[in-house]
Amino acid sequence: MNLTFSLAHLMGGIILVLGFSLLSQRRLAAMITIYQLQAFVLSAAAFWQGFAQHEVNLYLTGLITLGIKAVLLPIGLRQIVLRFNMIRAVETAMPVVMSMILGVGLIGVAVLVVLPSTLSAVSLTREDLAIALSVVLLGLLVMTTRRNALAQIIGFLSTENGLVLAAIGMPGMPFVAEFSVALLVLLAFLVVGVFLFRIREHFDTLDLSGLEEIERRGR
Amino acid sequence: MILFTIFLPLLAAPLLGLFGSPRQGAQANAVLAGLVFALTLAVFAAPGAGLVHADDLGLIFGAITGFTGLTTAITNIYYVREAEPRLSLRRWRVYHAMCQVVLGATLLGLYADNIGLLWAAVEGATIAATLAVSMPRTPSALEAAWKYFILGGVGIGLALFGTMLVYLAAQPALGPGFAAMSFRALTAHAAGMDGSLLTLAFVFILFGYGTKAALAPLQGWLPDAYAEGPAPLTTALSGPLMNVALLAILRFRHLLQANFTAGGAALPPGPFLLTLGLASLFLAAFSFSRRRDARRFFGFSSIEHSGVAAFAFGIGGAAAVFGGLLHMLLHTLIKSALLQVLIRAAALRGSTAPGHYGFSHLRGLIYSNKYTAWVLGAAMFALSGLPPSGLFASEFIIISQTIQRSPWASLPLGLGLLLCAVAILRNLGPLVFGPAPVRTKPGRATLETHLVTLHLVLAVVLAFAMPPLPVHLLSHMAEALQ
Repeated sequence: MNLTFSLAHLMGGIILVLGFSLLSQRRLAAMITIYQLQAFVLSAAAFWQGFAQHEVNLYLTGLITLGIKAVLLPIGLRQIVLRFNMIRAVETAMPVVMSMILGVGLIGVAVLVVLPSTLSAVSLTREDLAIALSVVLLGLLVMTTRRNALAQIIGFLSTENGLVLAAIGMPGMPFVAEFSVALLVLLAFLVVGVFLFRIREHFDTLDLSGLEEIERRGR
Repeated sequence: MILFTIFLPLLAAPLLGLFGSPRQGAQANAVLAGLVFALTLAVFAAPGAGLVHADDLGLIFGAITGFTGLTTAITNIYYVREAEPRLSLRRWRVYHAMCQVVLGATLLGLYADNIGLLWAAVEGATIAATLAVSMPRTPSALEAAWKYFILGGVGIGLALFGTMLVYLAAQPALGPGFAAMSFRALTAHAAGMDGSLLTLAFVFILFGYGTKAALAPLQGWLPDAYAEGPAPLTTALSGPLMNVALLAILRFRHLLQANFTAGGAALPPGPFLLTLGLASLFLAAFSFSRRRDARRFFGFSSIEHSGVAAFAFGIGGAAAVFGGLLHMLLHTLIKSALLQVLIRAAALRGSTAPGHYGFSHLRGLIYSNKYTAWVLGAAMFALSGLPPSGLFASEFIIISQTIQRSPWASLPLGLGLLLCAVAILRNLGPLVFGPAPVRTKPGRATLETHLVTLHLVLAVVLAFAMPPLPVHLLSHMAEALQ
């Protein structure tokens, strides 16, 4: 039981640290690598939870995470980076130090909100939940501090890793594998959407700060 | 039977991708929508069991969704005739498939008894709607779709987190397994749930589903999506989808309220909902004046009415919840009627493409077609909530309950409603009777205008004659979810 605790927390902690380092990265290629690592650790965490809870569904979640999020999605993202020639650093809406301070604040909020309100829950779930919420909030922060569409997507992907981390920690929750598949469909649409929407053709770059056409026309 | 109702549109969607011409696709779409409407009525006889088990709310909102889906599909036939050259055949096929996916997902969201299925339904509908918004491929349509995707995606993520927290909060009462995800079981055991965790869950649920319901700080996607997408799908069908999100909020609110009443650790949900509701109402009230595009304008009106419903749920008590539910039903009928007649009005002025819905462009509609103009005027008047509009009845119930239960909130509510009504009525005169742009040719009214009239008549009958069956269902559910 103790091993279950410490290993699950270790992996949760690694995922959190990786989510945090997304904030400091300004190069897309490095962001993708960090995301890939996060997905790898997440699949390991899913396998471990499946083993600890004797739940076949969680193995399935782990397999899906490993196959698609840790391998296929990063390949697709790298393709986009290469094709759109976005190797150089992307612009951030606020200084990196500032966003990291905000990130620390968000982790504090997550811990302060989750720990007191889950006193009666099993402690494994409790701390996992605090970590998962931190990862979710950090992902949202990445989405708001980046102007580049692809960087926003990576932030969203990281948010989604936090959601799956929370889901695999829930004791005996049905539909976990289905949830992760449903989220994947959404993610796939997002990534394909960059191609599909052909944002580059219309806006020249993937920089979304110029995307205020509607506001400008004041309709 | 109920499964068939949901899966008919979902499974038939790919088949719509096979039609050789957009017109045939639109006709098949209408036939399917007719079948679905008949099935939503048949569900009254066999409400299903297990994961998909319609309660009274699901039944009545399902029937309204079916009806709106049918009239929208008929409007869509005329829309496609006019808009056919604007999109390629492939995009029309995807568009018609997405119409059915949105319809099926909306019904699944209304009928699902499982909080996970409800979430999946909202997710599927969001993806389909986003695809549809991006369809015209103009820069502003892509911008709207991107906004919708990012905001909707964040909302969906938050809602999923909230769903998982509700499951966790139900553990002390229901233990692991499917029971802790069923609305029925959750409602029956709300008192035994972990109150503080439930409160945290509700905050996530409120912001997650609140994004889909376009409540105040999260409404950003809606006006753009209304204005830029292909009109029938992104506007007329979005009302029922908003209902799914609002009903989800209502059901989770009840869990919190029941836990609070039973002496659990949950916070009362009222203040959260009142704040978001009033914020939406005032945001809409102050945004109306600067809108020049009619669809964007009425998008803000959807935000207003979503806020009013959330406000009513925040007041709480059987009567206020009844008022909120009635308001949602009437708003769905009136708003989809209004947006359908707006498509007709734009067609009378030459084009239904996005960007042709400016007030200056549609002005003086009476010179184009008298009947359409009067129906548009009637729909706008109905939306303002002045008597004899149906919305007057529901707003009256909500205001009188507010005065009884939390008098301080009745003043801002009344002020917000008044501001919105004035903003809508200010535009009514010029739009219908104002001087028409030069070179306006008179046109003909079509079948869909009669359907719109039917919508408006239904709304008045529902509000003032109060037919026993729907009122019985609504009041029964309002009592159960107060």
